Amino acid sequence: MTMIAGIGFASPWLLLGLLVLPILWLLLRAIPPAPKRQPFPAVTLLLGLKDDESLSDRTPWWLLLLRMLAVAAAIIGLSGPVLNPVQEHGGSGPLLIVMDSGWGGAPNWEQNRAQIEAELSEAGRAGRPVAMLRLTAPEPLQFLAAAQWTRQLAGMTPAPWVAAPAQVATALDVISETDGGFDTLWLSDGVEMQGRSDLVTALAERGEIDVYESGAPVIGLLPATYEDGLIVLHAARSTAGLAQEATVQALGPDPSGTERALASATLEFDAAAHHTEAQLALPMELRVRISRFEILNTRSAGAVSLTDDRLRRREVALISAQSSDEGLALLSPLHYLRQALEPTAELLEGALSDLLPANPDVVVLADVARLAPAQEKALIDWVDQGGLLLRFAGPRLAASDTARDTEEPLMPVRLRIGGRSIGGAMSWGEPKALAPFGEGSPFYGLEIPQEVTVSSQVMAQPDPELASRVVAELSDGTPLVTRKPLGQGQVILFHVTANAEWSTLPLSGLFVEMLERLAVSSAAKPPVAADLEGTTWQAAEVLDGFGRLTDADTLAGVAGPDLVDAPSGPELQPGLYTSGSRAYARNVLREGDDVLPTSWPASVPVMTYEGADERPLGGLLLGAALVMLALDIAAALLVSGLWSPARTAAIFLMSGLMLGVPQEMLAQPATTPTDLTAELTLAHVLTGDAKTDRITSEGLQGLSNVLTLRTSIEPAPPYGVDLETDELAFFPFLYWPVTEGQPLPSSNAYAKLNAYLRTGGMILFDTRDADLAQAGATSNAARRLQQLALPLDIPPLEPLPADHVLTRAFYLLQDFPGRHPRGQIWVEAAPEDAEQVEGLPFRNLNDGVTPVVIGGNDWAAAWAVDQDNAPLYPVGRGFAGERQRELARRFGVNLLMHVLTGNYKSDQVHVPALLDRLGQ
Amino acid sequence: MSQPASSRNGIADIPAGQLRTRAEEAASVLPPLLVQAQQLAGAVLLGEHGRRRSGVGDDFWQYRPVQQGDSRRMIDHRRSARGDQQFVREREWQIAQTVHLWVDQGQSMRFASDTNLPRKIDRARLLSLAAAVLMIRGGERVGLTGGQLPPRRGNMQVLRMAQHFTDDDDTPYAPPEHRALIPHARALFVSDFLGPFEELEIALTKAADRGLRGVLLQVLDPSEEQFPFAGRTRFEGPGNGVTHETLKASALRERYLERLAERRDALERLCRAAGWTLGLHHTGDSAQSGLLWLYHALERRQ
Repeated sequence: MTMIAGIGFASPWLLLGLLVLPILWLLLRAIPPAPKRQPFPAVTLLLGLKDDESLSDRTPWWLLLLRMLAVAAAIIGLSGPVLNPVQEHGGSGPLLIVMDSGWGGAPNWEQNRAQIEAELSEAGRAGRPVAMLRLTAPEPLQFLAAAQWTRQLAGMTPAPWVAAPAQVATALDVISETDGGFDTLWLSDGVEMQGRSDLVTALAERGEIDVYESGAPVIGLLPATYEDGLIVLHAARSTAGLAQEATVQALGPDPSGTERALASATLEFDAAAHHTEAQLALPMELRVRISRFEILNTRSAGAVSLTDDRLRRREVALISAQSSDEGLALLSPLHYLRQALEPTAELLEGALSDLLPANPDVVVLADVARLAPAQEKALIDWVDQGGLLLRFAGPRLAASDTARDTEEPLMPVRLRIGGRSIGGAMSWGEPKALAPFGEGSPFYGLEIPQEVTVSSQVMAQPDPELASRVVAELSDGTPLVTRKPLGQGQVILFHVTANAEWSTLPLSGLFVEMLERLAVSSAAKPPVAADLEGTTWQAAEVLDGFGRLTDADTLAGVAGPDLVDAPSGPELQPGLYTSGSRAYARNVLREGDDVLPTSWPASVPVMTYEGADERPLGGLLLGAALVMLALDIAAALLVSGLWSPARTAAIFLMSGLMLGVPQEMLAQPATTPTDLTAELTLAHVLTGDAKTDRITSEGLQGLSNVLTLRTSIEPAPPYGVDLETDELAFFPFLYWPVTEGQPLPSSNAYAKLNAYLRTGGMILFDTRDADLAQAGATSNAARRLQQLALPLDIPPLEPLPADHVLTRAFYLLQDFPGRHPRGQIWVEAAPEDAEQVEGLPFRNLNDGVTPVVIGGNDWAAAWAVDQDNAPLYPVGRGFAGERQRELARRFGVNLLMHVLTGNYKSDQVHVPALLDRLGQ
Repeated sequence: MSQPASSRNGIADIPAGQLRTRAEEAASVLPPLLVQAQQLAGAVLLGEHGRRRSGVGDDFWQYRPVQQGDSRRMIDHRRSARGDQQFVREREWQIAQTVHLWVDQGQSMRFASDTNLPRKIDRARLLSLAAAVLMIRGGERVGLTGGQLPPRRGNMQVLRMAQHFTDDDDTPYAPPEHRALIPHARALFVSDFLGPFEELEIALTKAADRGLRGVLLQVLDPSEEQFPFAGRTRFEGPGNGVTHETLKASALRERYLERLAERRDALERLCRAAGWTLGLHHTGDSAQSGLLWLYHALERRQ
């Protein structure tokens, strides 16, 4: 395929046809226009006059240009132009396919795989041996047949990390171990890694390198931070240049435990920005539930940011026995706790009975010796369910008899009476320092400052279990902090006060760190390696390359400092790590990380997958040529005066008017609900049979005219109802002509019809065949009616009784003819207990309007009138026929009166009773 | 009212139902033409009276002394009683002239160069009918040539004439109808006179032979007078009969106007020889001016 200006041509020699264009120019110019036809009666005077000169008018330049363009488009279109033609790169010999295979490529993984498959099949056709190298998991190169790799390809997934220098070094080793030359095809993720240039150099020595890269920016989500009451989401992308938006969802369990999106925020990258932030304000209850943030629709481990304790702010209830005294703030048992916890926890203060229902995470009892039995029981229950009770000793506790003889549930150890005081003015000895924390202690690894000393403490009774409960002790081996599990929770006792009275511990930073380790407070800042010295972390869940969380039971534990510092790799997979009750989220991108775009040396060609789509342009150009030729015909006619746009427009206008007229006559003026409800509108069901629908519409128009003339009902023009789409509630009355070929309405429409009937609507079914059969008998239309009405909610029916209110709603009628006289009419049956009142011609019937009237007299045809109010269809013969039409109209009036006024005419049965009451 | 006119028009053999619809159709055309003609005529009547000679008539002309030979009955006693002399009351001479009308109904007349202009035939009919109205009011007998509508007087005649004017003729260039001319009557021929000249010559000669005098009114469209065409044009005569194609219409203009002038000269000569008057009316001008000219022309040289 020949390439010209980025467009490939299947048969480029056809383009030589463009050379004809100038000749065409000359030819087309000299053609005179067609003559103008001019009617002229005085032509007799012209006969015999000769032209002096033969004037050949020139074709207008724009017409010429149009024709040239049309011809040029046709020529170029025929030469088979293709945009983005596929350039097949040949090559022979072994082929190495290198994949970055990190998280950055996960969103494009399918494309990657399709690309590799295509390359593999091409290599297979060419008989080239292929080896594959995944940089995130380098293995020795094996040059195999392409088909074998195709089978293995399905099992390959991206890793949730970027190849670390160690892995790049392994890959370099692997390459250097392989002999011989090979070409390289490199599928890049678009994320830079260390040592890429070394790899390129090493591979370039062996053969040519082709790189595929999607070119789209890779977005990564950095760990969320909590600042000033807001969750701040950070994101980075590899390439700037275009403004971009991404939606981040905060996922977590809802109250029922199902994971769902709790909140979402939009990240907006400015055109030039590599980084962006979004803020999310969430109430505490939602915030603590967030387990991870995800960029929507981006399947990549980098687009997931797991959360750990850092987003949580624990609720700590502070309770002390002492009444608050403003003058002695520094002596308050809670002062140092407040100072220590305030930045990182929500503090609740008040009475225990008030605070416990709020279910705090931690309850701190500072020097509280005794609790009321009910409170104590509630507190035990709360600890049982996972609460952390932190107690501090103090003069009260030392003086009380709490946990002297027996071990109390809310005290880790039994206490000796009185405690001890060391290093004071009245005692011998020096204040004691802290012993280093033991390996099993939660404080293991914390550095103990020299200035921390303890001068007083409460002493534990020696007990068999004492040793296992001590988590921190003084240099002389007496316990400083003891701990006891209770149910799912635990009870911790500091054997000193929470203020600086008994020790300097609350004055030191160690106090804060100890509280952190006890998960009383959560750290506001991410821990640095030193903070986690001595801890071992177990992966609870790890991310795969697509950002899905999987269980990580089989992975080995990770040392605390490594967790923070070491690069991700097979040994340290991104995920959620736990140690004791603490959790640490190791994300793909850590705070301050950057997503860097790849940089390739200029010698390496970089291709994108998107470019693979070919777009043949031939059809487009040939179509354009056809359109232009059609325009040329019109223009040529216009120039020669054989065609006038105005006249054509007039013809179109005329035909439009002609089409418009019948629609106007069919009278569908009201279409919006407002129009339909502004006036009473008689409606008929559209049967799909145009003739029937027209007759019905005309009939209802005729009935409307009669009603307007004779009664106070003044209906709007009738409306044809489509049962499937129209709302029925606007119409008090539906005329339903039954035709044989009428389709059954959908169940949806039946639901609407039943609701319509239930809410007081009336349907007049007209089988229009009373000349052939009685209604209810077996005519075709009657059978169709049975099918139509089967799903309808219709009450029991009876032939219209002589005392029905329809016989006297407006006119006194006993006969209800339409075009056909004397067809049977069925209405809702009267209740069985209806009795005839003495002295009145009709029974005392129930209230309500019959929901259906069924007959076959073809009333619409009898009512139908044209625009001049002249009857359209013959009824009967002569005067008797006119009388029949009049009766049909009266039936219509009675029917509408019945529909609109109910059966108040039936109330006449009460006239004797009313007169009686009036004393007449 | 239109019934007798229709039957006289030779369509009596048409079934009655059709006749009625046709009559109504025709009648629907009449009123505008009639109304226009009446209006036009009404404007002209102002200030024009009688024959200015004593004669048989209803209007008073003058008193004159009794002369020899006057019958005693002729003496006006009311006037004579005022003095000793006896007077005779003379009335203005009113004589019924017979006027023959011929309006070209041919296809060549059904032409208007612009939608704003009336067709030549419409203007010709309007002018003729208005003139007829005027003459009938003046007491003359008016009729059409060719025996279609013999000259009569009375307003009915206007209606009949209007009825006749609704019939189109399909001849491209209708020759003047010169049959059934009453000797020494007056005549009014309205046409564009663009057809064969010989026919007109024959008609006029024949009319002159019978002692008729009259008026030729040439009704032309402005485009026929100005020839505002240019470019390659195919001129089509009425009825698609005669065509003339030219590559440069603007070059024909001078020669066309020359020929038109020649034709008019010929008409002029012919009229002078026959003692007729030639008039020219353009459909672009007002009908009023045309009618005034026509009225004076018919009045002249009594």
